[in-house]
Amino acid sequence: MHHVVLDEWGRRPGWLQKRDARVKLVALLGYLIALGTAPPLALPAAAGFGALAAAGVVLGKLPAGAVALRAALVLPIGLFLAAGLLLGGAALRAGDLLVRSYLSAVAVLVVMGTTPMAGLLRAMESLGVPRFLVVVLHFLYRYLFVLSEQAQHMRLAVRSRGLDRAGLRRCPSLWKAAGGALAVLFARSLARAEAIHRAMLARGYRGQVLWLRAARMRPGDWLFLAVALTLCAAVRVVLAHAG
Amino acid sequence: MHIPDGFLHPLILAGTATLSAVAVAVAARKAQRELEESRFALLGVTGAFVFAAQMVNFPLGFGTSSHLLGGMLLAVTLGLAPAMVTMTAILVVQALVFQDGGVLALGANVLNMAVAGIAAGYLPYALWSRGRLRWFAILAGGFLSVVASGAMAMAELVLSGVRIPAALLWSSAVLLTASGLLEGLLTLAVVRALRALQPSALERAQVRRSQAVLGVLAVLLAGGIVAVASEAPDVLDSLADRVGIAERARALLTTPLAEYRLSWAPGSWWSQATAGLLGLALTYGAGVALARALRRRRSA
Repeated sequence: MHHVVLDEWGRRPGWLQKRDARVKLVALLGYLIALGTAPPLALPAAAGFGALAAAGVVLGKLPAGAVALRAALVLPIGLFLAAGLLLGGAALRAGDLLVRSYLSAVAVLVVMGTTPMAGLLRAMESLGVPRFLVVVLHFLYRYLFVLSEQAQHMRLAVRSRGLDRAGLRRCPSLWKAAGGALAVLFARSLARAEAIHRAMLARGYRGQVLWLRAARMRPGDWLFLAVALTLCAAVRVVLAHAG
Repeated sequence: MHIPDGFLHPLILAGTATLSAVAVAVAARKAQRELEESRFALLGVTGAFVFAAQMVNFPLGFGTSSHLLGGMLLAVTLGLAPAMVTMTAILVVQALVFQDGGVLALGANVLNMAVAGIAAGYLPYALWSRGRLRWFAILAGGFLSVVASGAMAMAELVLSGVRIPAALLWSSAVLLTASGLLEGLLTLAVVRALRALQPSALERAQVRRSQAVLGVLAVLLAGGIVAVASEAPDVLDSLADRVGIAERARALLTTPLAEYRLSWAPGSWWSQATAGLLGLALTYGAGVALARALRRRRSA
């Protein structure tokens, strides 16, 4: 499953994994803004942005092939959106958009692959994202895979009671059945939320995730922040106009 | 439709990010008050439910199937503001973990799907949720939520200079209408089953007529941006002219690579890059300061 892969990458002994999550988040925004506001990418600029993303992959000891493959997930919708430009003969501009969206996805994956979700959410909160939204995100990420598994169990239960695809097709009120399945899943989710709520109150939860250790910036964090932002700005300003 | 990074014009990115940051901050505050902090797990778990629900396929015949998008279902079961917060959380996780939609484009995607989509979908429900038209309200709400957010996404792309030929535009419009109808029907199927199974799940949210105003605003916003995009796709260009970043916008909007090279006077990059960064830092600082001030006043 997806999250298992990202979590496994996050535990690798890379230099980027040790950096403060806030620094990585700010560097990611800097990279994306530099890339998003650059004029149409000529070869040097595209190579420069690509090199920055590749440096992140190396510093995080991430598997390059897997990152490249996962980042390709953005290409189908990108191709769909760029289809008009391709048909209209503006192939260069379409290629420019696709390269941008692909590089952005690689950058997001570098940060996600070197930062555990909990640390990332903590960084978001300290950078000013509303705390309530952060709490919702914590629970959403925690129960995402639990509920997906429950849906898979329900599907398995239907299958094991003898309803295969062909049988399903003959079923007269299939929509009703699917709607009912979702209603059951929803009702169970509500019951689960209620149980979590009581269990957490019993353990002293006060509406905020507490941490055992305060986040502290180390010299390496400042170094990374300064170098990353400088390089992003340099590629954006110098290479983007040198082409 | 989740817009990836790289497709939107910087002005659109900045505008939508500002709008949705304000809307989500207000919605988070309202949701927190409505739920009295006592149901903090509820929104996260229902958000996780939407992910799981996308694994349940509804057959459509012809060998195709579809799944629930969930915005309208969240609005009906949680209420307007909590649904917006939950949908925002869903979009954040989709962008970060599943590469579904960009991170910079999150502002646009949140505005389209979590803010305008849910507010527009809530409009018929806020008006007719108690009368005999109740089922129709859910159907229409599902339809409106999908069509409003899809139309806004298309308009933002056109405004950003992603040219879409008429034939493709029409087929997307047909597709959008069909998936809107489908979302309405799916939401209706789930809500009816839920009413038989656990009616209390539908009584959690208090529906207020006044919330229809937000729905009207959302429909007007969607209609307005579509009208601007269809009447004057180059409006950003002329706006950029006036603000004084014409060269840059033209370089972004029109293709020819050669043009911007000529039009870029050396030395102007630095001032523009610095101005852009400064503006960003100022906006962020102002936002954080405002949030701090509001928090202090509330706790005082």
